[in-house]
Amino acid sequence: MRELDTSAPIAKRTIWTRLMAVDRRIIFLAVALSVALPLIYPIGLPVKTANESRAYFKEMDQLNAGDVIMFSFDYEPDTMAELDPMSLTTWRHAFRKDLKIIALTMYAGGTGVAERIMRQVAGEYGKVYGEDYIFLGYNPDWSGTMLRLGESIKATYPTDQYGTPSESFPILQHVDRYGHIKLLVSVSASALSEYWAIWAGGKYGQRMISGNTAVQAVLIYPYFQTDQISGFLGGLKGAAEYESLVGIKGEGTRGMDAQSTAHALMVLFILLGNVGYVMNRRRRTQ
Amino acid sequence: MERKRFRLPDGPHRQMRSRGSLSKPRFFIILGLAGWLWLQAAAALDPPVLTSIEDRPNDAGTGLILHWSPSTEDNPTLQIIFERRHADGVLDTLEAIPGVDPRAGGEIPSSTIDERGLEPGQMVSYRMGWFEGEDTLWSAWSDPIAPQIQWVNGERASVAVALVLFAGILIWFVLSARRGRTFFIRKIPGLEAVEEAVGRATEMGRPILYSPGLDPMDEVATVASINILGQVARKAAEYDTRLMVPNRDPIVMAVAQEVVRDAYTEAGRPDAYNADDIYYTTYSQFGYAAAVCGTMMREKPATNFFIGRFYAESLILAETGNATGAIQIAGTDADAQLPFFITSCDYTLIGEELYAGSVYLSREPLLLGALKGQDAAKALIIIIIIIFSLLQIFGIDLRRFLG
Amino acid sequence: MKRTGPVIFGFLIGMVMLLQYFSPHPTLLSTYNLILDWKQVVFGMTLILGIVSLVRFHSTKIRRKQDGWLYSIVTLAGLVAMSGSSLVWGTERGFYPWAFDNIQAPMQATMFALLAFYVASASYRAFRVRSLHAGLLLLAGVIVMLGRVPLGELIGITIKGQHYALPQLSTWILDVPNLAAKRGILIGVGLGMVATALKILLGIERSYLGKGA
Repeated sequence: MRELDTSAPIAKRTIWTRLMAVDRRIIFLAVALSVALPLIYPIGLPVKTANESRAYFKEMDQLNAGDVIMFSFDYEPDTMAELDPMSLTTWRHAFRKDLKIIALTMYAGGTGVAERIMRQVAGEYGKVYGEDYIFLGYNPDWSGTMLRLGESIKATYPTDQYGTPSESFPILQHVDRYGHIKLLVSVSASALSEYWAIWAGGKYGQRMISGNTAVQAVLIYPYFQTDQISGFLGGLKGAAEYESLVGIKGEGTRGMDAQSTAHALMVLFILLGNVGYVMNRRRRTQ
Repeated sequence: MERKRFRLPDGPHRQMRSRGSLSKPRFFIILGLAGWLWLQAAAALDPPVLTSIEDRPNDAGTGLILHWSPSTEDNPTLQIIFERRHADGVLDTLEAIPGVDPRAGGEIPSSTIDERGLEPGQMVSYRMGWFEGEDTLWSAWSDPIAPQIQWVNGERASVAVALVLFAGILIWFVLSARRGRTFFIRKIPGLEAVEEAVGRATEMGRPILYSPGLDPMDEVATVASINILGQVARKAAEYDTRLMVPNRDPIVMAVAQEVVRDAYTEAGRPDAYNADDIYYTTYSQFGYAAAVCGTMMREKPATNFFIGRFYAESLILAETGNATGAIQIAGTDADAQLPFFITSCDYTLIGEELYAGSVYLSREPLLLGALKGQDAAKALIIIIIIIFSLLQIFGIDLRRFLG
Repeated sequence: MKRTGPVIFGFLIGMVMLLQYFSPHPTLLSTYNLILDWKQVVFGMTLILGIVSLVRFHSTKIRRKQDGWLYSIVTLAGLVAMSGSSLVWGTERGFYPWAFDNIQAPMQATMFALLAFYVASASYRAFRVRSLHAGLLLLAGVIVMLGRVPLGELIGITIKGQHYALPQLSTWILDVPNLAAKRGILIGVGLGMVATALKILLGIERSYLGKGA
């Protein structure tokens, strides 16, 4: 329902009516400052870990060297500020433990994101393409792809992103379906984590964890409670928690101060609006 | 307690697991040490027994389940090894099964054998051995057995029962509707407002914007959205108001074009239909949001419909529409986006109201029957949840009886 | 036949996919794999439909010099440059990675960043204590908003030596009332999915053929 048109003229402007109708441009400016200032001048607020992040960490940490995981970059550059820290830390964690990674993406725009992250982390740990990790690239039709991977990875992706036959890679010598993969990781800005849980988890019993934007994270709780998704990272806070568990400080931790001030600012605006609303109503009833 | 002692039999049951070239003195020292260790271990060891081998149920004829008797030896370093012999005499050694305590007995899941290429109908026999260090104590070879192809996966019987039950309810209601039974459907304010919203655009001489969401055609929300689009298009055609439908999925776009064209034809205005108004934008999530927001800012539609599956871009769309002063009707089953739509739109169809939408607008009897069937199935689930919860509260766990 | 043929075809394909779930038989499995392979191929081909529509829409705008036709030139130039360069030099070098990192990524990230501003203005406008229900919603919203950031750790009360921080309350709200509501919606959505699938199989629902209702 339309509440209040801030651009509409208000009959009699008092301090209370003004509090109820702060111009949206002022709100936008305040939000920009509340995010930018803590990034320039960090406060260093402590980060405590939540259950779901600890579960995500545990699922990764209990794997053994040589185990193969599948990592799906289910996002495009739009959400990279929130999701890149999760991907980076997961890849660092995996390579530190000498895990092998089969990477893919469900979005055409995800290829650029994946290549940047793989290049960076593989360089840091000196990992070799084809032996320690592989990028299968983008396949159209996510539901068909998710199902087909349960039968054969090499049939779903006959070549990798760069046209080399999948069969020729050492990492895929003994791995060709979900049953051969220890863990599936989906970092997603949409409902793709849920779809992985339904298709790969529900039909093929694949164990999985996910990283999600804060907006989508609330959807994951029902799946986490039933262990359909064994652990998840919710938004930048989840990324910061995972970073602290792995012991690698990154963009997630850096963004925590900004997120705290932005949330506090929003609460402040909501309270001011309500003070104006209550006082205005009281004035009118009098 | 006196332990029953066995000597190892000679012959093929006993094998050296590894051979290497060693100098003579070292060889004798190692042999002596191994012999001493071997006597210590072997003296107390029963040979393993493969009690039975059975076909693995519910599979495509690629697996078997091997049962064996546990060892009486209390020796934590003891491990299990298997050998598989094919009909043509080829021998495969299966690696030691990790994480299985030989003292516990039990089953080797046949998945460990699937990977070594069991073929349906292929005869194989097995023997198993205890091994420790370099020596193995083997069981006798089993009788040959072939894995069989199964037609039914019994593990999914509960899903089949639920599906048959649900389909039965649905079909019963559809048949009732076909026989002429009428069903009540409550008033849905968001859908009541469709006519008003289209009328408003006509009065203002501005177009209507209809977004069918971001998901492809195989999503139920998109199917529901396309149905509602048909009804909106018919009204737009009747009022002679321009209707724009930006799409993110090419198949949805093709279907939307068909639906809108049909609606214009049924309204007697096929000439007013413009295929270019139902267009593709991009597959990118926020690229789509940018395209739709740009259209809203340039064309200033009087009415916006956001009906289908939406994600984080929902608030960007709805707030931009709110800023342009459009009347907005949203509908989604993406519960995380509902708060955003409720905040910024005039009417919001919540969850299943969206599915009911097309039926509500078209009053198609068969679809109405199906909708009622869905409601009845939901009522049944609610009753089951309540019964199970109450029984659980009183300490009765029905799952034991249901296996 | 124009309508009946696709309905029968849809029924047969749907039945194979449904039966395969309940049967491990290799014949059904290979048919299932074949359908999935075709599904991906067909989906890939439909992208051509999208490109044709995009080019037609924007070239018409340019030809008629409609409002914002200059943006249409940018769109078509972007389409040609990105797809052309990736075909010539691949996605790892040349113009594509440069344009991806320096043009596409910042633009898309900007769109997503708008969300922060819109969430602030929308919540400011909507969260008003109009009734008891609205008040409860406001209270829950504030608790979750603060409880989900490190700042929330600093807020809490100590009762009999036991400290209760805001995140605990926030987690409870997400885990209990939020989850209960979500489960209700999920069950409804799940039933809706099954019902729609059955309606398509039985030919009651034909909207996917382009025929409304």
